Amino acid sequence: MTTISLSEEPRHQASSNLAMKLKNPALLLLPAVAFLSFIYLLPLVDLIRISISGPSWLTYFQRVFAVPLYWESLVRTMHISVTVAFLCLLFGYPTALLIHRTRGITRALIATAIVLPYFIAILIRTYAWMVLLGRNGPVNKFLVSIGILSEPVQLLFHRGTVLLGMTAVLLPLMVLTIYSSVSRLDPGLTRAALASGAGPIAVFWRVLLPLTLPGIGAGFLLVFVAAIGFFITPTLLGGPGDQMFAMHITQQADSVTSEGFLQALGVVLLLITLLVVAIAGRFLGLEFIWGGRKLTETTAGKVAPAATSATARRSFGSAFADAIGWPLLRLFGMLPASCGTWTVRLMGGLVVALLILPIIVVMIISFSSASYLTFPPPGFSLRWYEQFFSDTNWMRAFWTSALIAAVSAFIAVGLGTCAALGIVRGNVRGKSAIMLLLVSPIIVPPVVLGLSLYTLFLKFDLVGSVFGLAAAHAIGGLPIVVVILSAALQNVDSRLEQAASVHGASSLTVLRLVTLPAIAPGLAAATFFAFLHSFDELVLTLFLSSAQLKTLPLMLWGDIYYRLNPVLAVVSTLEVLLVVGGLFLARPVLATSQKATR
Amino acid sequence: MAEPLALRVGHSGAGVPASQSGGASERQVIGSRIVVRDAEKRYGQFHAVNRINLDIEPGEFITLLGPSGSGKTTLLNLLAGFQNLDGGEILVDGRPVHNVPTHKRGFGMVFQSYALFPNMTVTQNVAFPLRMAGVDRATTERRVAETLEIMRLSDHANKSPSEMSGGQQQRVAIARAIVMRPKVVLMDEPLSALDRRLRESIQIEIRDLHQTIGSTILFVTHDQGEALTMSDRIAVLDAGRIVQIGRPLDIYRHPSNRFVASFVGESNLIEAEIMQKRGTTVTLKNRASYVFDAESRDAIDVGRVTVLVRPERIAIANEPTASSTPVTVTSAIFLGEILRIEAQMDGGDTLLIRCTDTARRPLPDVGDRLHVSWGPEDCWVLT
Repeated sequence: MTTISLSEEPRHQASSNLAMKLKNPALLLLPAVAFLSFIYLLPLVDLIRISISGPSWLTYFQRVFAVPLYWESLVRTMHISVTVAFLCLLFGYPTALLIHRTRGITRALIATAIVLPYFIAILIRTYAWMVLLGRNGPVNKFLVSIGILSEPVQLLFHRGTVLLGMTAVLLPLMVLTIYSSVSRLDPGLTRAALASGAGPIAVFWRVLLPLTLPGIGAGFLLVFVAAIGFFITPTLLGGPGDQMFAMHITQQADSVTSEGFLQALGVVLLLITLLVVAIAGRFLGLEFIWGGRKLTETTAGKVAPAATSATARRSFGSAFADAIGWPLLRLFGMLPASCGTWTVRLMGGLVVALLILPIIVVMIISFSSASYLTFPPPGFSLRWYEQFFSDTNWMRAFWTSALIAAVSAFIAVGLGTCAALGIVRGNVRGKSAIMLLLVSPIIVPPVVLGLSLYTLFLKFDLVGSVFGLAAAHAIGGLPIVVVILSAALQNVDSRLEQAASVHGASSLTVLRLVTLPAIAPGLAAATFFAFLHSFDELVLTLFLSSAQLKTLPLMLWGDIYYRLNPVLAVVSTLEVLLVVGGLFLARPVLATSQKATR
Repeated sequence: MAEPLALRVGHSGAGVPASQSGGASERQVIGSRIVVRDAEKRYGQFHAVNRINLDIEPGEFITLLGPSGSGKTTLLNLLAGFQNLDGGEILVDGRPVHNVPTHKRGFGMVFQSYALFPNMTVTQNVAFPLRMAGVDRATTERRVAETLEIMRLSDHANKSPSEMSGGQQQRVAIARAIVMRPKVVLMDEPLSALDRRLRESIQIEIRDLHQTIGSTILFVTHDQGEALTMSDRIAVLDAGRIVQIGRPLDIYRHPSNRFVASFVGESNLIEAEIMQKRGTTVTLKNRASYVFDAESRDAIDVGRVTVLVRPERIAIANEPTASSTPVTVTSAIFLGEILRIEAQMDGGDTLLIRCTDTARRPLPDVGDRLHVSWGPEDCWVLT
């Protein structure tokens, strides 16, 4: 059937060429592209310019690689990132399978245990680990009580805690990425393979693994890229020997003398990130960044290379399974069949515990009557809640954050909705390139972005302004909105819009009466997530705010070192409740998007 | 709603008053005359619609029939204004439509996927075109109620589409398409998503509706049975062109080429050589050396031709007759009112035979020899 969607055509022949051009929805891309060009691309270009502005363009880079401190830190960063990515894969894959295999309420619970932490601020989740592993924390208490330790020891501030914390923080990303490829599998495949005489392990090795390999690759690389730019978790959980590369940038940012060299550090981090993404994109298609299906391109020719790369991927997958798989398979085949199931359950359960326990401990501690962090709390009290709500500094920070997040969500949703309409409905070349630009802020390390924005903000006197900060946060909010809404728009039945149009509705009326109601749940979810993104944002804020403008994460960050008291637990609990509420509201959207991917 | 809804046309913009053009029946024709001239639509090198010419009479029920990718839906989309012509023109009542945006063309349309607005009730869906046209509230209510009554949906007026069955949803969609009494109703495979029984009952409903409202209906389908049942005329499309247009009977009995012959109805296409010609009757011989007469529309040259013999036109007998040829049964299926027999002729051609059960013939076994024959009026030489 020659089903041709509206997107290929301007809606109707306009009387003049200009009018036709003005009616092309692709024009809706302009605001978002202009916004990103000014506040995102321009600063990055400027960052590169400053980094090569030394006596010779290499000067600053030579210093980066000549000083052992930085070089060693770079190697360490790579090492930590690869380890974290492997750990995430090791534990994340069974968890994704577990979600896929369970049904009903169990599935909902496990999925919530993964999704919930995904939306809770990294700062808060790291703080939860500090509480959990602290001297008076539950882990120490437990080990002492069963007699393994004679007295509490310092569990924090070494490499192990950095790896543990980063793995825990990044696990949801891995699980969700892999799950999106696992869930697309036809459940009939497993049954077909079993019916064809393959044992459960053979099914896994020969069918599941090759088919989910792209998901595994995407998850691994996303985690790796995120880990390279990590800053909050290693700073809080690591010792002096665990300095990651991004931490040097924030430390250097305080000294004025290092202009140029500082930017060179940022450029190195940026280039490494882009290199990894480029290599990943070569194999997986750059769509892996937004975990999306390919956008429908107007020309049929562009589909062809994608198809060949898909077959290449598939044959690579089966070759991989053949080479390593069969010998191992025979070995594993001797194990009882239930081993696989139990491995999946055990590891999945461990992951759920790892993700949920810290949050629960923090929530319990927020009701503690003790004046320091201890678990279990000696008694129940609301004194820390009272303190939080009566402290003018906390309340001011809270309202500042809420204001900034609201403005930021407004910017991101406004620009993002237009951009999504433009990209899905517009008639324009290079949709993939534009989409890439729109979502690319996700992969740029926030430290680099903060550094580059700082120069721009100084120039336009935006440092410490609500609007400036909101706009900066909208850089990261925009991709979220664009991804959610373009998926929602692609799911809108174009026949519905045609039906409205043929029965007398003009383009704007169609948008108002058909399209917007259809994407309303997506719009609500996008607004919430854009708000949350800004509300939680810390790294950019560190660079761009002033002493007068303190956001909630900034207050938390400042207090985490000095006041390890339960007020922070109160803030964390409130944040968790915010996310739970938001997810509850967004539930219908998540359900429909799941249906759509299946 | 006491008055029969039927034919109070002439409402604001709903159509011209009773047509004087008359026609076969005494029904009122409000439909437009549609003229498609040299219509073209290209996608790169691919001609989705390749210089199509089509004249549709006011109030006619015309079906665009063709396989996937034949251009029938594209042609419908061009008419609706979802896509723009790359060449040629489309005239509705003599006026070119290419500058008229979709929402001002005043058509009604029914989609395969129903395309009911999920955020509106049945009533709101049906009222949608009236609301867009700015019809006042009282009139809207009256028209919607009338239309729901003809479509036997009055009990469902306040339901949301998702609470209804596929058949009911499609009736709502039809109600929405006709509520304005549009001059033209476009139907894009409206019955494909329904099961067979429902499809047949809605076919009849649409047919009756067409008689009642007198609009011009353009119906797209890939189901030849549907096309034969419903249409005044059928336009058979293949590869972006109209290969034949005519009344259902003509299309079925006298297809213009192999494609139409095999696409519309079941067919036996037999290669044969012309031995003799007498006017429109020719004497032919096939590979099995079976000699038979056939009729053809126009004089054809001597040589090899393809002859269409419909499966139900083949007579079978257990004993040879003067005009018969022997065949070997390769499969025989009892379908209820008919027997469906596949058999092989001696030359290798396979024959499909359908005979009614009235003969109370026992179901032959595979390998049985039968004797088949057909007369000159039973076959049609394809040109």
